[in-house]
Amino acid sequence: MNRSSIIALGIFAAILAYFLSFGADSTRKLQAGFYSLISPFLKTGSGLQKSITSVRSGLKTLEEVERDNASLQVENRSLKATNQALRDVEHEVNRLRRALAYRERALFKLVPAEIVARDSSTWWRTVTINRGKNDHIESELPVVTDEGLVGKTTTVGDNITIVLLLSDENCRVAATVEGSKEQGIISGERVSGSVTPLLDLNFLTKQANLETGRKVYTSGVGGVFPAGLLIGTVQSFKARELDGQARITPAVDLSHLEDVFVVTGNR
Amino acid sequence: MIFFVILLVLTFLAQIVEFFIPPLEWMSNAHIYIVPVIVFYGAMALPFPLVLALAGFAGFLLDAVTVQALGTRVEISIGWSILLYAVLASIMHGLRPLFIRGRWEVHCVMSGLCTSAILLSQYLMIAFRRGSLVFTHDAWWQIAGPGVIAMLMAPLAFWILHSLGRLTANPYLPEPDGYE
Repeated sequence: MNRSSIIALGIFAAILAYFLSFGADSTRKLQAGFYSLISPFLKTGSGLQKSITSVRSGLKTLEEVERDNASLQVENRSLKATNQALRDVEHEVNRLRRALAYRERALFKLVPAEIVARDSSTWWRTVTINRGKNDHIESELPVVTDEGLVGKTTTVGDNITIVLLLSDENCRVAATVEGSKEQGIISGERVSGSVTPLLDLNFLTKQANLETGRKVYTSGVGGVFPAGLLIGTVQSFKARELDGQARITPAVDLSHLEDVFVVTGNR
Repeated sequence: MIFFVILLVLTFLAQIVEFFIPPLEWMSNAHIYIVPVIVFYGAMALPFPLVLALAGFAGFLLDAVTVQALGTRVEISIGWSILLYAVLASIMHGLRPLFIRGRWEVHCVMSGLCTSAILLSQYLMIAFRRGSLVFTHDAWWQIAGPGVIAMLMAPLAFWILHSLGRLTANPYLPEPDGYE
């Protein structure tokens, strides 16, 4: 080994030792900085990908667009009517709740965001969204769609945020099953060969015997996720030696996410 | 030096492109990795100090995009991928005499094996951190699959990079009849 190689090795070891000494905060800062740096590339790539996909689907369904448009207009009118009816009901319910001295139903403050990149790694399930500190997003905030829970924010840059998906083994959510007193912890699978991985609901009682199709919601325990967000539905249940475990189908199709909302607080 | 800079830029671009390559459903959701192939070519075509620099850069990129900082803990600290890339690239660099003699197929196979070795190491590290080691059929595919794809990609990638090396007059390449 020549002199320059030895010097290079020494410099390399020093840089390596420097990085290995990073704690969680320094790591998060460095990662946020790096993602902010590459965000223009990710956004451009995402835009390109979307335009390619839309051109392809547009070419395929050109004749169907008119039909879709007509049907959507009808649906839109119907939804408007339903929405108006529901507004009336909401108003009535709130009025009655106030009359009963109940707290008015809490509504979440939501920040809409677009997925700009999906995880490029094998073992971690994350997506990157185009909102960050500039939009008042912080670490450990729930991310949802109109269908249910998606995950939580982890590293936050100025205008980009990494979202840890519900299907990741590290994303643990306290959950409750509708129509029962059963509570447990949801977590994803470490390795899944399926595009839409199932979730595990652990620490149920052995006698829970949950039927297929029952809805699972966040219980609000733990502080990150507010209570009442739909997580998914029970697919199967098995009693183990000490507890019960249910397999849950996520309410949100995590493999085809495009737009999400970050819950930044209560309104 | 120009060729080294080109490899750095290509490594960076490949890392970005990997974000937009969907996993292969028919291969148990195995991912496609381009960066290791570029780095392992660099390990043969560059002097050792530059191999370390390229491996360090690629490892840093991998760590920066994959590291998970949750609360007060980091699952795999920044630096482990740098170390991993450096060790594997050094092994590849050690096989440079074969490359000079024109036995580049060994390096194609090694690129695949080293790609899988990176994934296996990551998996073992997270298994250690999470407290249970489970090897399922899907896990094996997600480790071996990217290696097989890297192995298949390597001949074409090496040929393109080798041509680029010649175009930029990389002084560290073997004689013209050594590779072809």
